[in-house]
Amino acid sequence: MTIPAVIAILLFVEIPFLMSVTYSFTRWNGLDKAVKFIGISNYVELLTSDPQLGSAMIFTLAFTVFAVAAINVVALLLAVLLDMNIRGKNVLRAAFYIPNIISLIIIGYVWRFIFSRGFDSFGALTHLGIFQLSWLGDSHLAFVSVLLVTVWQSIGFYMVIYIAGLQTVPREQLEAALMDGTGPVSRFFRITLPLIMPSVTVAVFYSLSNALKTFDVIFSLTFGGPGTATTSIALDIYKTAFSDSRFGYGTAKSVVLFLLILALTVFQLNVFKRREVQA
Amino acid sequence: MSGPFPGPSRRPRGAAVISLVLAVAALVYLYPLILVVINSVKSFSEIMANVVALPAQLHLENFSNAFSLMRYPNLFLNTLVVTCMGTGGVVLLAAMAGFKLSRTRTRYSWFVFLLCVAPMMIPFHSFMIALVKVARTLHLTNSIWGLGATYWGLGVPLSLFLYHGFAKTVPGELDDCAAIDGCRPLRAFFQVMFPLLQPVTVSVIVINAMWMWNDFLLPLLILSGAKKSLTLQLAAYNFFGQYKIEWQNAMAGVLLTITPAVVFYLVLQRHIIKGMVAGAVKG
Repeated sequence: MTIPAVIAILLFVEIPFLMSVTYSFTRWNGLDKAVKFIGISNYVELLTSDPQLGSAMIFTLAFTVFAVAAINVVALLLAVLLDMNIRGKNVLRAAFYIPNIISLIIIGYVWRFIFSRGFDSFGALTHLGIFQLSWLGDSHLAFVSVLLVTVWQSIGFYMVIYIAGLQTVPREQLEAALMDGTGPVSRFFRITLPLIMPSVTVAVFYSLSNALKTFDVIFSLTFGGPGTATTSIALDIYKTAFSDSRFGYGTAKSVVLFLLILALTVFQLNVFKRREVQA
Repeated sequence: MSGPFPGPSRRPRGAAVISLVLAVAALVYLYPLILVVINSVKSFSEIMANVVALPAQLHLENFSNAFSLMRYPNLFLNTLVVTCMGTGGVVLLAAMAGFKLSRTRTRYSWFVFLLCVAPMMIPFHSFMIALVKVARTLHLTNSIWGLGATYWGLGVPLSLFLYHGFAKTVPGELDDCAAIDGCRPLRAFFQVMFPLLQPVTVSVIVINAMWMWNDFLLPLLILSGAKKSLTLQLAAYNFFGQYKIEWQNAMAGVLLTITPAVVFYLVLQRHIIKGMVAGAVKG
């Protein structure tokens, strides 16, 4: 009964992954006959003389730092507000979740429309300077745009994870603190936050690994531009293999991406799990 | 579903203010999508003049244009086939294997379990190049059936993990009863166990269906050799990839593409939220 599942996984994940590792030591242009073993040359090249991958690395890491921080702070804040007993909270939760059910590629196009046509109109109506800036054409602003759209699309999902966590916090503890005259802010930081650390671990883990492999939104919003200002590692891999036809070199980059994500997520889980035990 | 604090009986101080602020925030938050709806029924010149203004009259022909430009009925059906075939296969393979592995305790079964769930830690982008080669070798490229089958391998690990975790909590006596009654293992599984795994099945369907319907990169890689775009997401990509975008048709196209997912969400809202949380927290 396990054989069909094992075959499917081997065929479509594990064998391709092992092939990637193997091909990363070759020069291969995608045509079957032209595979040539070249040792670690690909890795030497990507570490020493590939400014494109270098800038993709810097972009991806900077993007990840900002995205993880923004997503988790905003989502947690929303979750706390929408976990309270307020009017219309179910409708509001649904509203903030909606962007999450739309494909990332469409999200990118919708925002391209907003940043180009929409901002023209907002600018004409309000005469505010921020709408007259080139949000996709300037490399610093394009970074902010990609970040904004990513956060906008994903906070609904993380909000839901945090709400699920908040619902496990025992009411007695909060009421006891209320009796002691503890204010709402310190109640949150001293009682609620330590108790929902398992949810924080999960949400940070997901936002971290998703940010490190960000692809779709960038593909449709900026296609890595202007220049290579918003090219992520995943997009760089795609371009190396499928635009430049350097498949062997592309697989070497993809092995690097795998190791990077593995190292950072394992590190994150270790650090956060330790906090959970203390709490 | 009430917040744990300060309790269902009373609303916190300033609840009305918080509600109001959040409602305004939600409107601002969803404004880009509201603009898509407004502009999907405007003419091209109206969009170029002012995106915010309401249409002077409804240009519903944008939808019929997008409908035929995207070959919507065809591609809707294609995307549905991929999603159903992919999700159905994942449910079947993951349920059987997850259950079986939860019932055998040997060193061998532990190894198989690891083999099956380890791919959760392998990002798609780190093996996609070789995956295209494998798919080409197996003649799965440029066919929606091939795409559906490829999803089996990609979707099973997480789903198997969820089934395995749940099946452990179902008492083994039930398997024995089925065996005593003379059921073959496979039949016993489908008649006795599979119905009991239903809560996980709902989560697994939701997680996989939403992902496959909205996925872009795998269809792009597997189907890009076809003469015409074969799924809705690829059609949307072609719509916006043009040099001069016909915004009015593109906005209608966006709505046509996301509507099935939005309807699916509104109908199954509760299950979707539960399924997504289950997939995230346990995965």
